[in-house]
Amino acid sequence: MFRAVFRLSATGARSLARSQQCRLAPVATRCYSHGKVESDEEFDARWVTYFSKPDIDAWELKKGMNTLIGYDLVPEAKILDSALRACRRLNDMASAIRILEAIKDKAGPHKDIYPYLIQELKPTLTELGISTPEELGMDRL
Amino acid sequence: MSLPKPVMRGLLGKRLRFHLPIAFTLSLAAAIAFKYTVTEPRKQAYADFYKQYDATKEFNAMREAGIFESVRPSGE
Repeated sequence: MFRAVFRLSATGARSLARSQQCRLAPVATRCYSHGKVESDEEFDARWVTYFSKPDIDAWELKKGMNTLIGYDLVPEAKILDSALRACRRLNDMASAIRILEAIKDKAGPHKDIYPYLIQELKPTLTELGISTPEELGMDRL
Repeated sequence: MSLPKPVMRGLLGKRLRFHLPIAFTLSLAAAIAFKYTVTEPRKQAYADFYKQYDATKEFNAMREAGIFESVRPSGE
């Protein structure tokens, strides 16, 4: 019976090791053995372009944000800047503040990420007149 | 003083790569510990009990106690 256990655990360990390879690439890369892995800069540029569409609609904004939130990363400041400007074009203040709440949540236990992003986005927030959840007292229950 | 850029990618992957092997190892250890502290002693206890078990003697003891309907105690 133990031999069966060892055989199963060996194959389990091997497939776990294989899937570890894919986990090293955090975002939407499929685990192809062929095909290029997208670089971080290409990924960022693609998302900045997505949110920069001049006539983006509300659905595309929501879909983009939800997809972005699904990845194993906190979006870069330039992607968030593009998303916040899209909110401005759509007159959607609620989504703009929600984006800030979302990135704070995405950072999880890493408490240094959110203050850094607010620092980077401060010029944009001032220009577009977006208050942070903290300024509105919305960060407490 | 402006904040330096922290790591923002692959945070969950890093956490899983650390915690999943530990989780699997601990689970396996718990299962092995349970097997050798609970199930093996239990199996041994049953084996020891039945090694010297005399079914006929036990049956007769039950019969004399009068619990059966199909066979009455030898006295009646």
